[in-house]
Amino acid sequence: MSCNCNGNCEKNSRREFLLTGLLATMAVAGCSDDKTPFTPEENVALSGEKVKLLSVDGQVIEVDKAFLKPVPDLPTLSNSEERKGMPGKKFVMVIDLSRCKNLKKCQSACNHMHFVHPGQSWVKIYQMQDAEHTAPYWQPTTCMHCDEPPCVKVCPVDATFKRQDGIVLIDSNRCIGCRFCMAACPYSTRVFNWETPELPEEVASQHYSSETSVPQIKGTVGKCDFCPDMVRKGELPHCVSACPNGVFLFGDINEDSVTNGAETFRFSDLIKDKSGYRLMEDLGTKPSVYYLPPVNRNFPFESGLENQPAEEKTGSHH
Amino acid sequence: MENISTLQSERITRELMPQKFGKRGMIWTGALIIICLIGLYAYYRQLDKGLVVTNMRDYVSWGIYISNFVFFVAISLVGSLITAIFRLANIHWSTPLTRIAEIIAVSAIACASVIIIVDMGRPERLVNLFSHGRLQSPITWDVIVIGTYFFISLLLLYIPLLPDLKILNEQKNKGPKWMSKVYRFFGFFWKGTKEQWKISNKSVVILSIMIIPVAFCIHTVTSWLFATTYRPGWDSTNFGAYFVSGAFLVGSGAVVIAMYVFRRYYKLEKYITEKHFDKMGKAVVLLAFLYLYFNVNEYLVPAFKMKKPEEAHLTNLFAGEFATMFWFAILVGMVIPVLIMITKKGRKPLPMFIAAIMVVVGAWFKRYLIVTPTLLHPFLPMQEVPESYKHYFPSWEEWAIAMGSLAGALLIITFFVRLFPIIPIQETITEEHEKAITENK
Amino acid sequence: MKKLLLKINSGKLLLTILLSVLCTVYTAAQDDSTAVKEEEPEATEIVKLSYHSSNNSIQYLLLKSIIKKGKEQTPVKNKAYTIYLDSAADATKVADVKTDADGKAKTFLPPSLKQAWDASAQHIFIVKAGDEEVISDYSITKSKITIDTATTDGIRNINITIQKQEGSEWLPAADVEMKIGIQRLGGILTAGEEETYTTDSSGTVSVAVKNDSLPGDDKGNIILAVKVDDNETYGNLLVQQAAAWGVKTTTDNNFFEQRTLWSTRFRTPLWLLFLAYTIVLSVWGTLIYLVFQLFKIKKLGKQAAH
Ligand code: SF4
Ligand code: SF4
Repeated sequence: MSCNCNGNCEKNSRREFLLTGLLATMAVAGCSDDKTPFTPEENVALSGEKVKLLSVDGQVIEVDKAFLKPVPDLPTLSNSEERKGMPGKKFVMVIDLSRCKNLKKCQSACNHMHFVHPGQSWVKIYQMQDAEHTAPYWQPTTCMHCDEPPCVKVCPVDATFKRQDGIVLIDSNRCIGCRFCMAACPYSTRVFNWETPELPEEVASQHYSSETSVPQIKGTVGKCDFCPDMVRKGELPHCVSACPNGVFLFGDINEDSVTNGAETFRFSDLIKDKSGYRLMEDLGTKPSVYYLPPVNRNFPFESGLENQPAEEKTGSHH
Repeated sequence: MENISTLQSERITRELMPQKFGKRGMIWTGALIIICLIGLYAYYRQLDKGLVVTNMRDYVSWGIYISNFVFFVAISLVGSLITAIFRLANIHWSTPLTRIAEIIAVSAIACASVIIIVDMGRPERLVNLFSHGRLQSPITWDVIVIGTYFFISLLLLYIPLLPDLKILNEQKNKGPKWMSKVYRFFGFFWKGTKEQWKISNKSVVILSIMIIPVAFCIHTVTSWLFATTYRPGWDSTNFGAYFVSGAFLVGSGAVVIAMYVFRRYYKLEKYITEKHFDKMGKAVVLLAFLYLYFNVNEYLVPAFKMKKPEEAHLTNLFAGEFATMFWFAILVGMVIPVLIMITKKGRKPLPMFIAAIMVVVGAWFKRYLIVTPTLLHPFLPMQEVPESYKHYFPSWEEWAIAMGSLAGALLIITFFVRLFPIIPIQETITEEHEKAITENK
Repeated sequence: MKKLLLKINSGKLLLTILLSVLCTVYTAAQDDSTAVKEEEPEATEIVKLSYHSSNNSIQYLLLKSIIKKGKEQTPVKNKAYTIYLDSAADATKVADVKTDADGKAKTFLPPSLKQAWDASAQHIFIVKAGDEEVISDYSITKSKITIDTATTDGIRNINITIQKQEGSEWLPAADVEMKIGIQRLGGILTAGEEETYTTDSSGTVSVAVKNDSLPGDDKGNIILAVKVDDNETYGNLLVQQAAAWGVKTTTDNNFFEQRTLWSTRFRTPLWLLFLAYTIVLSVWGTLIYLVFQLFKIKKLGKQAAH
């Protein structure tokens, strides 16, 4: 095989696979009776036009033309659909601190895909040390998508809202820029567009979507959105697929599983076996992001210092 | 006797009539207008470039706009104190001060609304507050109570003004035409009949009762903008009372300043007497002690425990970056004024004036200290951000806008005083009259 | 040289090393300020083709093209490629494709290739960019996967058989590594103890299900999935099948539909609505009454004037 596989094979095939799964479900739906366990991916915008193709066993079969694209188009969602979220799902993330060496790939992927303003980031990797004699560790944070989100409580205009799938999103076309949510969020996760965001022409002219969080708008807040647009496409959030160490695991708590693409775990077992916890539990915010403690680490803490900007190399315990 | 009384009324009217700006007045007004214009230009820049012209960033996401807002809301509370609380407590000496207090309240609330709009990232979406307003948010509560308070204050300013408008109307030949037009427009229907008096007296009583809970609400709700978050330094059950007491203090400070200035430049020594200063001085001392009491609660209790999130914040206030400002606000804003005003000599107009300025300046810095240092101590450490995100000092645009709004408040008061008598004429005549009768008896 | 790079991995590695050595030597001669700029390695275009078959039925090809520059990879957008089956002739053209914004393109096999496809058990795919052959030896062997579920002694088993075609015969495919498990969002949750399984000489593998009582749909169905990833001989294969082994789960939206402080403005808590409206209405009621009183004063004044 002449594939020039440079270690990102795994990642690519991972994505492609999900699409395959999509087609397969269609096939199951097409050829079996009402045994279909889940409704076929209702997400895809079917074109109604069919294309003929050759099957593995030499049959000629038909599929919708929409599937001819590497990633089938999704129908554009209305604002009210974006506000409701995906029924039956409840997203959850697990961040395994024992695997993190501060590579910041999650951060750069996220910043790149969302055109986050230079200097700001939605994913942050903190250099943590809880007390003087305790061990330092690297702690990536995203928005916690709290189940009792203080940021949503205080928003005066429903510009930030919680959906039935657990995701907390922002409607930048509604936000008045009061920044109360920033003061309310104990995880310092929100950033503000202090000036007109630097965006490529074709991005800036797009209509803002809460699910993609693109394009960011001057005078409104932004933050990690758990990439529901990627999930709709059958892919994983950018930070999850960008991390070469598999630190981020993403999934649906209703399916009781989380995955980083390469490995998939049963969520309840993982949390039990590794003593998962959430940040600032005492505040009652009920985050959707769980952490696995930095024990039996894959990398020594110091290996992460290489990626730290010079002025921050000195540890700050907080 | 009738004769004397008429003469006296005429004298009172003459002395209390609004006066044309002198040279000083012109310079004062001109300076205020220039400061406002600079502020406007700064705001134009902010609208154009975004809030990036301020030095607020993701950590310090609220800066002097918000502390200025809190300051204005605080000052406005004095309207309720002097007109309502004193009235209900049967304190009569404060009658000549009611209009001063009310106009301070009205102009402060107007500027508070302006400054909060300035703070918004998308001011053009202000309508969203009404079209998509969400009752769970303390901001919505604040909008409602501030609107209500503003309306009540306007009524409390306007209704007692009616009899004076009649007097002003009767002085037709004085002053430019547009002014008498204004008087006629607002007050042509006041004839001073018995029924009219009855209704207006009743209305003022109802308003004075109503304004007290609403006043407590505006400042309590404003304090909740902070206290409903988890941040160390804001996460306090003491906050409502702490804010309200501080507000009464700074408000009465502002009234003392206004008293002194009007007395001096409008030659009102007969109406705003040393007795008034003396009484106000006692009130300010009392309020300063009250505010000190809440300060002790606010800082000593958490400092005793030194919970981890509070620790960095408190040490920073007591001995760190903000220590100078913190002790300045405590000493100059409370302790020294108390020391001055607690003595009889200190309650003479000039020392009172100086002490009141200290109170107000100290109070302004106090609001700054309530807003900013807390934001610099988030739960997770400040990392991975440009250096400028970790500090805050207002940019010139912020200063210009904040000062512009302060100048705006003063300008409203100045114009009001140019148009209307700052000491209620009719009420003063009536009181003199009553005094004369009792004396004659 | 480009072709060389594309085709020979080791050659590319060598070259990269050589290049970086050269660069280092070169930059050593420069002063510090320009060092970063000069170190820029040469950009290489990498094209990758993969064959996918799904449920032994639908098959397609995915092409991905990237430019690799040092550690950085950028997708090659809007580039045209032509894919052929077995030989680079018009008669055996699979499709002309164009990469999308992610540098990816996808195609099915057209029915016109039926004869060529049926003729052999093994096929080679060729990719050309213009006249240049960028991939010439990507080959696959036809295969099929069967899933069989059985419960013995209360233990649920998944039995997988993989067969490959040789001539016109179907023979067991040994040593094929795969994932066997339950399809979940974004991945396959392994059914047994292992991450992956490999077929034995008879082309079969059997897994006792360890991950029991997983949440399924409202009927208790879960989807079993078998996935072969980037296999040298067979490509990417996936087969899915429903099984009624899950726990019935119904979506519970009560949490979301509560009236809470974080709900939308359409679900404000009733106590808050009640409180707010009582206060606002009583205060503003009084205020409106007072405004009416003002009008009354006005009326009285007008009457007095007459
Ligand atoms: S982490 Fe912050 S922004 Fe995210 S949901 Fe929780 S409070 Fe809101
Ligand atoms: S800044 Fe925007 S999202 Fe945040 S509370 Fe204000 S209006 Fe809501």
